[in-house]
Amino acid sequence: MITLKYLTGLLFVVVLCGCETVQPWERGILAKEEMQWQPNVMEAQFRYQVYASKEASSGGTGAAGGGCGCN
Amino acid sequence: MARDDRNPTLLALTSSALLLPIYQGASADAPPEFTEVGVRYSRYKEDDILGRNAFGGGSERYKIDVAQFRMLAPVADDWSFALDVAWEDMSGASPWFVGEVAGQSPKVIMSGASIEDTRTEVSGTTRYYYDRGNAGLNLTYSDEDDYESKAIALDGSLNSEDGMTTYSAAISTADDHIDPTQGSVPTNTLSATKDVSSAWVGVTRIVSQRALVRFGVSYTYREGFLTDPYKFKDRRPDERKEWTLGTGYRHFFEEQNAALHIDYRYFSDDWDIESHTVDVAWYQNFGQDTVVTPFIRYYTQSEAEFFSNLADEEARYFADDYRLSAFGAFSYGVRLSHDLGNWSVNLDAERYRTDGSWGVYNGEVSPGLVDFWRYGVGLNYVFR
Repeated sequence: MITLKYLTGLLFVVVLCGCETVQPWERGILAKEEMQWQPNVMEAQFRYQVYASKEASSGGTGAAGGGCGCN
Repeated sequence: MARDDRNPTLLALTSSALLLPIYQGASADAPPEFTEVGVRYSRYKEDDILGRNAFGGGSERYKIDVAQFRMLAPVADDWSFALDVAWEDMSGASPWFVGEVAGQSPKVIMSGASIEDTRTEVSGTTRYYYDRGNAGLNLTYSDEDDYESKAIALDGSLNSEDGMTTYSAAISTADDHIDPTQGSVPTNTLSATKDVSSAWVGVTRIVSQRALVRFGVSYTYREGFLTDPYKFKDRRPDERKEWTLGTGYRHFFEEQNAALHIDYRYFSDDWDIESHTVDVAWYQNFGQDTVVTPFIRYYTQSEAEFFSNLADEEARYFADDYRLSAFGAFSYGVRLSHDLGNWSVNLDAERYRTDGSWGVYNGEVSPGLVDFWRYGVGLNYVFR
């Protein structure tokens, strides 16, 4: 599983080099709510807080925010 | 917000470089058209600890009730303001330390049902939208009986000229104060502080008319009292450096009218902890107004270099906290979202289970590993 992080880097390079050009008027599907990175913000806020307080890892989707006594 | 009630062509034209949210909270390169408000109730409930893992027999663990409020409003032509408020009520017991009787495996000594705490968090974000991106400033204040946190964060994003790529960055700093509640168990400090500084950069790329991908790296530096004040003999370094590498993929399947979400995160720190997290979700539309989303998550982590079930009195650092042990966790659940005009209702439930043998890293299995349920119901309204 350690190799996943290297595969991620390789995927990054491949994707940046190999995307088809999508014109602005062709991006309707990409604007759908279910295509957003985080469709339900409030649910995600609590879910990530729970994971961060029960696991040794946190972060990865932005800069770390304020803390709580839960971890 | 109804998902398909907007003219797709207009939407595409007005959101050309659009979308490519930089991270949770940010969503588009134009301010919201209408004010949105939401309320939500959640419950988090840990399974009882089993009698075979605890001295004194099985006992109840932790539970949290949470109420949330969120408002997102356009301000003038190019600004928005978001207000998030959360109230939490926490109660129950948690592992105090791990002990051993000769000839038996280690067991947890619980703190007793002594934890009673409430937390209030207020967070405000103002965001400015420019031609090729947006920038936000966030202030967060969190207060509970034994803990106070003040945080500030800045983020920004810039789209490439053709709108195919978005470059994003965020920085934050937090100033936390710990004043452990005295009386239930002896505490490791009477008063202490810790600071957290963090930076993140990411790239989002349109892959096709139906697919998006993003990559991000982050660095977080924690300094100060990082020991758990309530865990017996807990002694942790006063510094921690963390790195993450993350990627996400979104793909819409027109025939199925559904979107696939895949996210992966690699985490590493200088306490010798590594972890891998994989999230997969399937957003299935039913008609115009209903989405059902089953999801599954796998998590595995290695143990901290100073983790041990039994205390080594000679060691400089020590923790028997199950959260620093090696384990694997599966969670699964479902979300339901249904629109009713300007209203939308959301329901969700998640089951989280851990086991020492489910991880990919070797290490001592903690008797304190936790399983839990999480439920939630939310209601949103758009003022259009």
